[in-house]
Amino acid sequence: MKKKWLLFIAVSFIIFVLAACTANENAGEEQPESNAEGDTTEEAGGEEKILKLNNQQEPTSFDPAIGFDSVSWNPLNNLLEGLTRLDSSHQPQPAMAEEWEVSEDGKTYTFHLRENANWSNGDPVVAEDFVYAWKRLLDPETGSSAAFLGYFIKGGEAFNNGEGSVEDLGLTAVDEKTFKVELESPTGYFLHVVTNPAFFPVNHKVAEENPEWHAEASSFVANGPFKLESWEHDSEMVFAKNEEYWDAENVPLDGVEWAMVNEINTEYQMFERGDLDATEIPAEMSDQLIDGENVQIVDQGGLDFYRFNVTEEPFQNKKIRQAFALAVNRQNIAEFVVKNKVEPAYGFVSPGFENPSGEDFRDVNDELVEFNPEKAKQLLEEGMKEEGYDELPAITLSYNTDDVNKAVAEALQGMFSENLGVEVTLENTEWNVFQEDQKALEHQLSRSSFLYDYADPVNFLESFITGSYMNRTGWSNESYDELITKIKAEADEEKRWEYMYEAEKLLAEEMPAFPVRYYNQVEILQEGITNLVRHPVGYLELKHTDKQ
Amino acid sequence: MLRYILKRLMIMLVTLWIIVTLTFILMVSIPGSPFNSERGTNEAVQANLEAHYNLDEPYIIQYLLYLKSIVTFDFGPSIKQPSQTVNDMLGRGFPISFELGIMTIIVAVISGVTLGVFAALKHNNVIDYLAMGFAVLGISIPNFVLATLLIQQLAVNLEIFPVARWLSPAHMILPITALATGPMAIIARLTRSTMLEVLTQDYIKMARAKGLSPWKIIIKHALKNALLPVVTIMGTLLASILTGTFVIEKIFAVPGMGKYFVESINQRDYPVIMGTTVFYSSFLIIMLFLVDIAYGILDPRIKIHKKGGE
Repeated sequence: MKKKWLLFIAVSFIIFVLAACTANENAGEEQPESNAEGDTTEEAGGEEKILKLNNQQEPTSFDPAIGFDSVSWNPLNNLLEGLTRLDSSHQPQPAMAEEWEVSEDGKTYTFHLRENANWSNGDPVVAEDFVYAWKRLLDPETGSSAAFLGYFIKGGEAFNNGEGSVEDLGLTAVDEKTFKVELESPTGYFLHVVTNPAFFPVNHKVAEENPEWHAEASSFVANGPFKLESWEHDSEMVFAKNEEYWDAENVPLDGVEWAMVNEINTEYQMFERGDLDATEIPAEMSDQLIDGENVQIVDQGGLDFYRFNVTEEPFQNKKIRQAFALAVNRQNIAEFVVKNKVEPAYGFVSPGFENPSGEDFRDVNDELVEFNPEKAKQLLEEGMKEEGYDELPAITLSYNTDDVNKAVAEALQGMFSENLGVEVTLENTEWNVFQEDQKALEHQLSRSSFLYDYADPVNFLESFITGSYMNRTGWSNESYDELITKIKAEADEEKRWEYMYEAEKLLAEEMPAFPVRYYNQVEILQEGITNLVRHPVGYLELKHTDKQ
Repeated sequence: MLRYILKRLMIMLVTLWIIVTLTFILMVSIPGSPFNSERGTNEAVQANLEAHYNLDEPYIIQYLLYLKSIVTFDFGPSIKQPSQTVNDMLGRGFPISFELGIMTIIVAVISGVTLGVFAALKHNNVIDYLAMGFAVLGISIPNFVLATLLIQQLAVNLEIFPVARWLSPAHMILPITALATGPMAIIARLTRSTMLEVLTQDYIKMARAKGLSPWKIIIKHALKNALLPVVTIMGTLLASILTGTFVIEKIFAVPGMGKYFVESINQRDYPVIMGTTVFYSSFLIIMLFLVDIAYGILDPRIKIHKKGGE
């Protein structure tokens, strides 16, 4: 009896193992085979250029309305294409739309779609595809995190809030190739906004038939430079050149293979071995590698900064806030703490936004927040006198748990101690908890970050209007709110930029937050990789990328 | 025996229910939301999202919805990756983790037992010291350190094995080695100590006196009993290794299910948290149950049916 049991268990175990192993062998074989086939057919036609990249993770979603993060945007920006597309100097150029007219008041855009714009299944790209996708973006039922980007569209906010209806949206398919958009107010940067993947079209015929069209490679339809050939979730994606793409002759690559390796050291080791064409630099190797050849450093639109909570002592006082801001040696933080060639931030708006006459916002408004320990000390004394403090109330500096944030927080602690004689306590919490606390104004001084969704300074500046969910400082200023309202309503670009300069200056004067550094994107490329463009607004451009 | 099994099944269900309830309480009591993101979303959008996933319902309704999802074993879509259901994720990740795990266990048991037996036979000899020295190293070097070392030396410098990913049998060798070393060392030490104990028992002396060949004594008489403690630790070991390991899978970019345990909590992806917890705890409970049964069969001193009748 006993023996039988033992035998039974042993046999079932062996069958189990064999089953697991055979399943695996098949799985292992299938892939190289299909790859090899692809290789031979294409190699026969000449050298094939396949770029090997790492996307870190499974994309959140290839549904343009849902995938609202860089792991979705980087691949998606090369599969689909919106009305306009950013060029290598990050300016919007005609894409699905060949040309457009803007009405006198700047509130109506009429886009004319390309006659030769087609989907990868052969369907023409029509105005209805845009209407369908944008309505979906704003539909509260969709549950899109990016929906607020569509609030520029007439009736967009009301529809998304559940107050308006879909009929009142300013979206019209005039005819098959003409798409008319009415806006709430003139939005000088609208052509920038529509380069965001949230505004990509969706093939409405395909989507109506199969709402999950975007979930698998077999049902995915592309209208961009590449199409999705295969997608093994959590493991790998393969892109092939999209021959239906209107500008296919100017796409040098034959395909892209995306790995999903979410460990930067492994990514770097794969790069060393030649398994990847680009890699980020592991933090501990930054000093060694950053000055090497083939290192590409580009700006990323965004700001690393600290928020004051103006509803809590002692930061209700402007001078005390200014004192803390002026006590920070940003150059040292950028150069010795964060490293990787990041730029110290002496203003709020990051470099890279050009006004109508081609000047950079940052150059015009120059340095607004300096490092000046003497002035800081003096401001602190004045502030304490105003408030009648003999001693400053205890201050806690909070950050979300992360190695770099910790290093910066410790550097700040040292600077406040040295330059102001103030001892602050450090506190760190897990990211998600940190976010909740910051929104609920439970911090005094807390680490913050901002990433641009589209290329216009107002995207950041409007964070600080009264009651905005992005404000998180308790700060409220009537003239600031008024400036932002004016910025949003102004049709004259020159004037609009003037208001934006003014708004940033006011922010630096009132200092509800102080800037620390700007972000950048650093990577090493293999020899012979050219035109791999990363836009400051956070998506990757492979249309013109070449591999020798 | 049947009564015992039925009773155990009941206890298992109750245990599972307690785990689910505790998980739910912990899950809703950690601050944070799945919709927090580096790129902010405004309140209207947030409200839409919460309604979409029933997170605006009272807790008791949410709890009942979770219980329902467990009974039907359908955890719905992930909140973070809405085009994937939790079942998709488990169905995709588990076979890979299982494959990695089962091979790890086989390697660990075979090498651990061999090492332990040799060490015991050559007690206080050079081989014993070498084997145990190796085992101590295996226990004390964390597997992620070993993994990084293996990649750097064998994959990047010597180019023998691929660096990472899960594509061919060659890709499996390094992660299996990194993962198996720790359990192997534990098994080796356990085997050695029980083997030493067993070898002094009277029945072994008896077998020797009967003139049986030394190998027959070791394999048929000594090893069988020496393996009992190894079987004891197998339950937890199997459950933890077969359902995937976060760190090793991350380092080698193995698309298993290990990452869902950790990432779902960081992202507050409630359906995935629930799905992985239920899956892991059921798996663990069943493994422990099987070990108990196996124990009763292997060790006649433990009589299951008598216990059941008490």
